[in-house]
Amino acid sequence: MKRVNHVMKRVLRGALAAIAALIIAEASLSFAQESVAVKATIVTGGLPVDDPNAAIWSSAMPATFPMSPQVHWPNRIQEVTVKDVSVRALHDGNQVAFLLEYSDPSEDQDDAAAFEFMVGDKKAHFAHGQPMLQVEGGPVNIWFWKHKEGKAVDMTAKGFGTLKPQTHQDVKAKGVYSNGSWKIVFSRSLTTDHPEEDVQITPGEFISIAFAVWDGRKDAVGELVEKGSQKAVSSWWYFRADAPPDYSGYMYAAIAAALALGFQFVLIRKLKKGQ
Amino acid sequence: MGALGKPIILMVAMYVFLKFILPNIPGSAPLPSSLIFLYLLLTAAGIVIFETLSGESKDAFWGPMERFLTGENLGGLQALRYGVLVLFPLLVGWQTYGSTASSDAPPAESRTIHPAPPGEYTGLSNPVPKTPENIMQGKGFYAAFCSPCHGGNFDGKGPAARGYNPPPANFADPTTIAMLQESYLFWRIKKGGVGLPIEGAPWKSAMPRWELELPDEWIWKIIMGEYDGAHQSPRTWE
Repeated sequence: MKRVNHVMKRVLRGALAAIAALIIAEASLSFAQESVAVKATIVTGGLPVDDPNAAIWSSAMPATFPMSPQVHWPNRIQEVTVKDVSVRALHDGNQVAFLLEYSDPSEDQDDAAAFEFMVGDKKAHFAHGQPMLQVEGGPVNIWFWKHKEGKAVDMTAKGFGTLKPQTHQDVKAKGVYSNGSWKIVFSRSLTTDHPEEDVQITPGEFISIAFAVWDGRKDAVGELVEKGSQKAVSSWWYFRADAPPDYSGYMYAAIAAALALGFQFVLIRKLKKGQ
Repeated sequence: MGALGKPIILMVAMYVFLKFILPNIPGSAPLPSSLIFLYLLLTAAGIVIFETLSGESKDAFWGPMERFLTGENLGGLQALRYGVLVLFPLLVGWQTYGSTASSDAPPAESRTIHPAPPGEYTGLSNPVPKTPENIMQGKGFYAAFCSPCHGGNFDGKGPAARGYNPPPANFADPTTIAMLQESYLFWRIKKGGVGLPIEGAPWKSAMPRWELELPDEWIWKIIMGEYDGAHQSPRTWE
């Protein structure tokens, strides 16, 4: 009996080690995918909507996205200051807050940054939702922040030249510059009363998101280098506000394992009786 | 274990064949795991039918399994028996968790890289004579308009490429312009990313719609310059 117990323990230990290895492998896989999506972690007790340096931001996983000079449409630009942006997000079930971080060697009055979202079910081209030739597109919602204005502008576009501020301004933004980098918090309620122009955020659902940055530096003759369509841009990536934790998967797994165990028990008893 | 040995060997051999040997037969391809599972299931069903045809073979087949499960006179295999009894419920639990838990991964995207062009862009031939001057001019236009993304070396690694997803095409890669006709390139350059059909995910492409900025003749010259610079030839029907 002792020997059997000993064997049981070894088998159990082996099984646990195998399961642990599987879990670790899964976790590292999902980590490697982080740069495809920004995820808003759930927090309680208020969002740091005015504080880009709040400690709670460290509880959100940063996602890094590469930026390109905007060469899709005139006026183009061949080189831009910002090469990457880092984005974190938090939500509390009512509001969402994004923290956008990037390095920029100088603080300028014309420094600016923007988030872009697809709105509704129709796909929208990442360049201001410009019309596509074979696919009917939808609008985009743009949250634009400029240092000298010190606030966000909530905008809508569906094609070039259609970008305009909305009549309902729902977005807040606050930027802080220090040590050669910008930290900007954008915040809004998850949902608004204007679903045809504002992105509606449902926890658990993936939404297309893109970024733009303007370095407000000036050239030798005092002209802005990055302005309007001459900016750093990203392609579409994904954003998702985490859904509240769902433990039902563990419950179903426990029920299934218990059923399998019971099946084994009954089967062996029957077999033993039969003999 | 005699009667069980052969079926086990057969199942393993079947798996090895489907998984590792079949994909390496010329003209074949790797099988999806669901299909392998189905084939193994059929094999197992065949074995069970075969082994239970007569009373004798039935006992020889089920007997060892019964003895294994009840643990009688197992000796050294006792540890294996406990292992199976512990692992089976755990495996069932694990599978159930995997199939019910909500996925953390973003929606899968299947983007067709070279979708079919509209009818009017099939079979057009390059109207510009293939002279060294025209090729050189095409390379000049390429350097000005295309190389920021597609790269001075035609490898898709231009200075503006890094932020764009999907990445700009690498023309030196034999699976891009080398398997396309000039007519196809003419369409893609003229209409750009926004001209793609839905399976090409036009909303993600940064390729400009050059018909709004460049005359057709320049586009044909760019195509010539691209093939020449990337050391590729257009696909033809000959």
